[in-house]
Amino acid sequence: MAPAYKFIYFNARGLGETCRFLFNYGGIEFEDIRFEDEEWPQLKPKMQFGIVPVLEHEGKQICQSIAIAKYLAKKVKLAGNDDWEDLEIDAIVNTVYDLYLKVLPIYYEQDSSKKESLKEKALKEALPYYLPRLEAIVQKNNGYLALGRLTWADLHWASLSPIFDILTGKDNLAGFPNLKGLREKVNELPAIKKWIEIRPKTEM
Amino acid sequence: MMEGACIKRTRKSINIFNTTEEMAPAYKLTYFPVEALAEPIRFLFSYGGIEFEDFRFDRENWPQMKPNMPFGQVPVLEHNGKVAHQSIAMARYAAKKAKLVGNDEWEDLEIDAIVDTVNDLRQKIALYHYEADAAVKESRKEPLFKETLPYYLQRLDAVVKANNGHLALGKLTWADLYFVAILKYLNSMCGGNDILADYPNLTALKNTVLELPAIKTWVEKRPNTDM
Repeated sequence: MAPAYKFIYFNARGLGETCRFLFNYGGIEFEDIRFEDEEWPQLKPKMQFGIVPVLEHEGKQICQSIAIAKYLAKKVKLAGNDDWEDLEIDAIVNTVYDLYLKVLPIYYEQDSSKKESLKEKALKEALPYYLPRLEAIVQKNNGYLALGRLTWADLHWASLSPIFDILTGKDNLAGFPNLKGLREKVNELPAIKKWIEIRPKTEM
Repeated sequence: MMEGACIKRTRKSINIFNTTEEMAPAYKLTYFPVEALAEPIRFLFSYGGIEFEDFRFDRENWPQMKPNMPFGQVPVLEHNGKVAHQSIAMARYAAKKAKLVGNDEWEDLEIDAIVDTVNDLRQKIALYHYEADAAVKESRKEPLFKETLPYYLQRLDAVVKANNGHLALGKLTWADLYFVAILKYLNSMCGGNDILADYPNLTALKNTVLELPAIKTWVEKRPNTDM
């Protein structure tokens, strides 16, 4: 039998990796469909809002990586126990995503001198603003990003945060032992560790 | 002693008939004196009949307030001594309280996905509107109005057409309230025109939401602002 879920994304970690982490964490079988950059122009018009990742399940297709991750998090029991707990997790997930959006323009900038100034901007403004605040949260939350325990916010952090280093060329977590430790802790979870070993190796 | 007890009992009786008189609302929403990103939360609390303190601070106080906000942003929501942030997360919470969510996880995913899509559109519009460099802003104008807006609005209009007049699940959900609540903000960022002018299904949805009794009441009593 084919897996119940098809997950379609670039052959990259990017915004898809949080979902792949969650599938693996919960032992949920999924078809990990990846395409190369060159194939994207033909595939884009087939996606409802021209974006990936897309999740296919029981004949339905849905997009939006954070929404899909939230759905999977409930399935694998990494969500909150009540509405306010879910709000706390959602807020920190969206915050990490906001930081990602501030750093992302570096990736798309083709002009090398503009790219350099975007890198500098991220290193001088966005990263120094967000990282200390996230570090403080992990420190007072028992080593986690929310609720003092493992939630999908932590898997989202571990899967997405390497991009900050890749795009800026710096080890951004060097001064943030709690954030670094959290990422390592998630990567050491048996199901995640196994996934990291077997997943396709890609630059981003 | 007896007199004191009588007074206490009397106060309690007054409370039974007018509960708002002595107790502050359970929720305090803090934002700029505008609709924008707080309005979905206001719509949802209003729809659910959930009392909230709609605190709008004076803009000149923002520089002092900003460092006290979790990530330097508003809106924030205070409840039971805790402070939450991130407008969509708070809107989703209010939606759960107002019972405008899905009946299962997949249904919630469908709603979440369309809300995130509307938010993507908002961010693309904001990228144009808030650009400080006039030349860069001008260069973003045509792609926004000729490509991005039609791309999203055509597809959202089609979703509403296929979903019985709603953005998800063929029925009223918080996605509908979210979209309509930020419309004035989107229009104002786009220069003041009605961006839904060419989209009949989205226009009908706007009217559907604005005609809901609780929303109609809220819109009538809320402070009148440009965005």
